Amino acid sequence: MKWLLKIVDAVRPTFEEGGKLHVFNPVFGALEHFLFAPGTRTLGAPHIRDPIDLKRFMSMAIISVVPCVFAALYFFGLRIIPMIIVSYACGLAVEAAFAIVRKEGINEGFFVTGILFPMILPPGIPLWMVGVGVAFGVLIGKELFGGTGRNIFNPALVGRCFLALAYPAKMSASWIEAGGGLTGRLLEYATAPAATDAVTVATPLSEAKGGQMCSIWHLLFGNVSGSAGETSAILIILGGVFLLFTRVANWRTVAGILLSFVILTGALIQGGAVSYSIDGLVSPIIWHVFAGGLLFGAFFMATDPVTSPTSNIGKWIYGIIIGSTTVLIRNFTGYVEGVTFAILLGNIVAPILDEAVIAIRIRRLRSEG
Amino acid sequence: MADNQQMMCGSCGSSGLCGGKGLVTLKEGAWTNNPLAIQVLGICSALAVTNRLANSLVMGAALIFVCVGSNLIVSLLRKYTPHRIRMVAEVAIIATFVILFDQFLKAFYVEMSDQLGPYVGLIITNCIVMGRAEAFALQNPPMLSIVDGLANGLGYAVALAIIGFFRELLGTGEILGHEVLKEAWYTPNQLMILAPGAFFALGMVIAAFNAVKGPEAEEKK
Repeated sequence: MKWLLKIVDAVRPTFEEGGKLHVFNPVFGALEHFLFAPGTRTLGAPHIRDPIDLKRFMSMAIISVVPCVFAALYFFGLRIIPMIIVSYACGLAVEAAFAIVRKEGINEGFFVTGILFPMILPPGIPLWMVGVGVAFGVLIGKELFGGTGRNIFNPALVGRCFLALAYPAKMSASWIEAGGGLTGRLLEYATAPAATDAVTVATPLSEAKGGQMCSIWHLLFGNVSGSAGETSAILIILGGVFLLFTRVANWRTVAGILLSFVILTGALIQGGAVSYSIDGLVSPIIWHVFAGGLLFGAFFMATDPVTSPTSNIGKWIYGIIIGSTTVLIRNFTGYVEGVTFAILLGNIVAPILDEAVIAIRIRRLRSEG
Repeated sequence: MADNQQMMCGSCGSSGLCGGKGLVTLKEGAWTNNPLAIQVLGICSALAVTNRLANSLVMGAALIFVCVGSNLIVSLLRKYTPHRIRMVAEVAIIATFVILFDQFLKAFYVEMSDQLGPYVGLIITNCIVMGRAEAFALQNPPMLSIVDGLANGLGYAVALAIIGFFRELLGTGEILGHEVLKEAWYTPNQLMILAPGAFFALGMVIAAFNAVKGPEAEEKK
C-alpha cells in the first residue's frame, strides 16, 4: 500500500490552499479518506478513541445490505449493477457540487444512500430515472436541509417518493419477473416488458389486492417480483439482525414497527374489517409482514439514526406510527404499498416526538422538585 | 387571512423607504421587496393556478389591474375614509375591480375563466392587494400609489410567470400549449403539475431571488 500513499502524498499539494486545483479539495479529501485514515489529530481534550466512528458506522450499514444486493443480482439480473453505478455517480455529483460550494468535505453518509436507493426501486426502471431520483433525493431531501446529519427526511425515500409521484406509469411498468433455478438471472441483462406488450408484471401485494396471495415460502425465499432488494425476507432479516447486533440500528424502532403492524393487522382481521384469501389469523399476518417493503423499510430505512428520534420512547412511538400507517395505507387506500409514505410521515413527526418526550421528562423532574 | 393582514401592517411600519420617489417604489415592489418571492404573500393563488403558463400570465395581469385600480381609488379617498371602517372600504373597492376583471374574462375568454375557476374571485382576499392598500395607498398620493400597485402587481406577475413556465415545461413538455420537449425523449414529470410540484417550484424561485439579491433581505428586518 506504500506506493498508493506516495501517490496521494505527491498529489496533495495541488489540492491544498494555493494549489492549482484547490477548488476540488473536498473531492480529493473524500478519495483520500476513503483509502487512508486521515493524519490529522484532535487539538483539545477529550481524546476519545473508539474504533467506530461515522465512517465505520456507515460501513456496517453497507455490509448489512450486501446480502440483499446479491439477492437482487440473482433474482433480477445484471441490470442491478448499472443501477447502482448510476445511483452513486449522480448522487455523488450533487454531493460534490455542494461540498465545493460550501468548502466542506464530502460526507460518508451518501455511501449508504447510494446503495439503498437502487434497492428500493423496481428493477426494470430506466437508468435516467435512477439518476434523476437520487439527485432529487440528495438535493431536496438532504443538502437543502444542511447536508449529512441535518436532514429531516431519508434521502433515498425522498427520491423514491419523487419518482413514484412524477412517473407513476413508468414505475408500475418496471417490475420484472424474478428468476429462479441455479443461476437465476445472474447471466442476463433483464429489462421490463415493453409497454406495447401490455403485460405488466404484478407484485405480490398488487396480486393480493385482487384476491390472489402467493405462497409464504416464495416471499421468504424471495423469488417474487418487487423492488430490487426487498423481495427476500430471509436475507433482509439476516442483514437486519447484523445491524441490530452492531447497534447501528436501534431495536426499538424495528420492534415498534413490526409489533404495531402485526397487532393492527390481527385486530382488523379479527374485527372483520379486512379479509384475505389465506384463511386463519396468523398466516395472513406473517404473509403481509414478509410481503413488499415492510421488512426492508423497518430494518434499513426507518432506523436511519439521523431521521429517527433520539429518545427511546420517541423511537417506540415513531415505530408504531410507521407500522400502523403502513397497515392503513395497504388496506384502505388505492395504493398497494405504503412503507415509503409511512416512513416519510414518521420522519416528519420524529423531531416533534423528541421535543415532546424531553418536555414531559423535564416537567416531571420539576414537579418532583 | 387576518393573520396575514396584521403581518402586513407590521411590516409596512418598518419599511419606511416607501415614501421615496417613484423609481424607488417601483424597484422596491417589483424586486427588492417582491411580494411573492421576498414577502411570501399571495401563496394560495401562486400554488393553485401556476400549472400552466397561460393561467399564470392571466392571473398576473389580473393582479396588476386590481392592484393598480384599488391603490388609486383607496389613495384618492384616503382623506375621506374614516379610520375605523377603512378595511371595509378597501375590501369594497378591491372587490369592485376583481368583479370587473372576472366579468371581462367570462365575457371574452370563457375557457380561461373556467380554468382559473374561483381563483380570480379569490383575489379579493389576496393579501398582496389588501396589504398594498393598507400599507401604501392609505398614506400616499394617487400617482405614487399607482406606481406602487404596478410594481407589486408586476413583481407578483413575473414570479408567477417563472413558476408557471417551469411547471408547464417540466410537467407536460409544453410551453403555452406548444410541444417544446419532444415526447420521444422527454417523459413529462407529473409531479410538477400536482400541488407538491408547485411547492418545489415556488421554493426554488424564492431561493433564486434570495441568491441573486444576496442575504441583505433578511438583515433589513
